[in-house]
Amino acid sequence: MTTLTFPLSRIEGHARVIIEIQQGEVLSAHFQATELRGFEYLVQGAPAEQMPVITPRICGVCSTAHHVAAVKALEDAYEVTPPPLALKIRELLMLGQLIQNQATSLFIFTMPDRLGVSSIFQIEDHELGSDETQTRIATRALQVRKAGTDLIALAGGQFIHPIKAVIGGVTSGIETEAAEKMRNYLEAIIPMAQELFDYYWETSLELGERLGTWGDDQPACYISAIAGSCPNFYGNVLHVTSTDGNVCTTFPAKDFRKHLTYQSTDYSYAGQTSYEGEVIRANSLARINMLYNLGTPQADKYMDRFREAFGQPAHALLLFDMARGIELVYALERATEILSEPLNNDEVAVPYTLKDGEGYGLVEAPRGPLIHHYSIKKGLIDQAEFIIPTVHNNLAIERALRVAAERYITEEWVDMELEYAVGRVVRAFDPCIACATH
Amino acid sequence: MKTFAVLQLSGCAGCEVSLLNADAWIDEYKLLYMPLVISAYNVPDVDILLVSGGVRTDEDLYNLRRAVKNTKQVIAVGTCAISGGIANLGNRDEVRKLFLAHQVERPHVPRLLPRSHPIDTFVEVDRYLPGCPPTPDLFMAILFDKPDFKPARTVCQECGRKKLKDMRPKHLLGFQSGEVLPDICLINQGYLCIGSSTRGGCGAPCTRAGHPCVGCRGPSNAFIEKESSAWFDSIQRVFASMTDIPPEEIEAALRSPQLALFLFQFSDYAGTDRPPRQKEKVL
Ligand code: SF4
Ligand code: SF4
Repeated sequence: MTTLTFPLSRIEGHARVIIEIQQGEVLSAHFQATELRGFEYLVQGAPAEQMPVITPRICGVCSTAHHVAAVKALEDAYEVTPPPLALKIRELLMLGQLIQNQATSLFIFTMPDRLGVSSIFQIEDHELGSDETQTRIATRALQVRKAGTDLIALAGGQFIHPIKAVIGGVTSGIETEAAEKMRNYLEAIIPMAQELFDYYWETSLELGERLGTWGDDQPACYISAIAGSCPNFYGNVLHVTSTDGNVCTTFPAKDFRKHLTYQSTDYSYAGQTSYEGEVIRANSLARINMLYNLGTPQADKYMDRFREAFGQPAHALLLFDMARGIELVYALERATEILSEPLNNDEVAVPYTLKDGEGYGLVEAPRGPLIHHYSIKKGLIDQAEFIIPTVHNNLAIERALRVAAERYITEEWVDMELEYAVGRVVRAFDPCIACATH
Repeated sequence: MKTFAVLQLSGCAGCEVSLLNADAWIDEYKLLYMPLVISAYNVPDVDILLVSGGVRTDEDLYNLRRAVKNTKQVIAVGTCAISGGIANLGNRDEVRKLFLAHQVERPHVPRLLPRSHPIDTFVEVDRYLPGCPPTPDLFMAILFDKPDFKPARTVCQECGRKKLKDMRPKHLLGFQSGEVLPDICLINQGYLCIGSSTRGGCGAPCTRAGHPCVGCRGPSNAFIEKESSAWFDSIQRVFASMTDIPPEEIEAALRSPQLALFLFQFSDYAGTDRPPRQKEKVL
């Protein structure tokens, strides 16, 4: 037996892919998460109130999603409803997170795969010619990304581990002047983001042509906390679609155990989820498949273009990346809409009383639906569960890896394209290992 | 061009994300290794090695020791690498037991060490950049070694909130309790803010936004070479002078996990007899 080990890069966290082969036959393809910090254990005994500050530290990429999910779980337990203005500010937070994440995934993690380089920070001018669109991708990518982090900082106080969402609301509104400044700034970023995304689209088409495939895995079920029209990433209920694209189940966060089966493995610190025995997929493509439209002008144009080219539901792997670009444009546009509304004119928080019990908090994080579940005894966390989008994707990642391995491994040899294919497959799902293992 | 590399051990990648926001380095430095953004699998010889995250697995330890061999300067960035940060919550005995139980079930992944360690338990560190994460400005200051960069001594100095004499709370409100009055010190409002003895330089984003400082940058220079109890005592003195909150209440709150993440680790090397970090090395 031959064991091939592929270290992974340009993803969040520590992971590798192990493929076992025997005489050209692929025996297994495993996606291994190799780190563990143990948040479900280490928060035990912490005062429940402190979870919104502790849990963002699960992951510096998805911190905003954890921050908001923690607050929502506690509000569920304490039975408090935050005022409408606080919800708007939290939606802004989630949009900032989406901008930041999709820009990072598109332009920093996966753009190099299109350009055949190891990093956008190592593109030498001569590699790509000196054409304006091709040079300084790194600078512009960082600028678009920063629009997201600046928005998180404005709405959340701090851009990596935000602090402004508190039980019952947010600590403060956003001053009109600051909101206007941010809106103008984001409006200036939109064309830059579109330009980069257009270039990304083009180079993706070239890649697909060169490879002769867009990632030919079988159709899958999808899971997301948004569906229909005009999404709100603040999150509401979960939806699952069957392989033909129709929504087959809708359920609240607290019922996730009735529908999703979790399994741990002995070869990875991250587990895997399935839906009634089926492989499921979360993340951008799940949402784009489930949405009728996004509701902002430029994003909807991209959506139409996407539908025309790839249909609905779309299943090819590289389309996850394309879907991220549509969402990037959407998030920028939607944020400018919210920033035009008054954000400093009303109460931002309501009082609450501490209570023991259980709470569930759901948000649609960039990687898919994220649930925090706490049980609280004497004001302290007795048990905590983090239901992580990457974990929903783990089976789908392994299935797709096997398809890639079978494509590039023959009895004669291993095609050198396999190494790149492994990277592309994993990055399409934009996994987050720190979250998946927590 | 100077070269640098970023080695990420067990952390959350927040330090790396913050570094990405300090984008001015891309014109001055060549980044040779940082798996988050570059496909490169070995740390090459570099001028500066930034290390984030704590040493949690045997693989972390091996990678760390191998990486420092060929580097001119080692900078520990972020609280995890310096003192354990959030991971230290997992060093509580009852939690460690659970960790180790996990261990038995998974033979194919790196072994977890019995506890998480700061990196200077194993290798020499030239500079320290605390923060969870350090802000982009702090990253710039340490990479470019700006002599004119003078961080504020404490978070209070950067916070801009006024300490009032005649507003003395009788009890703590905890950390979150709805709306916060603007411009007035959070201690006056009954919040457990520890900005008075926490190292400045972050620009006080948390307290400005209305959330108490949780001390992620560690003790200010006045306390950094002392045991953590000195930091702890100083916070208590501030509360005694500004509030009528019973000391037991403060003491109990200071020991809560959220603060324990940062408060009790910076100056104590749990389980070792190494000398304290010199303040000159800490930005
Ligand atoms: S110090 Fe904070 S931001 Fe940096 S890796 Fe640790 S938890 Fe993340
Ligand atoms: S104690 Fe906290 S709120 Fe008060 S001035 Fe200092 S940092 Fe600001």
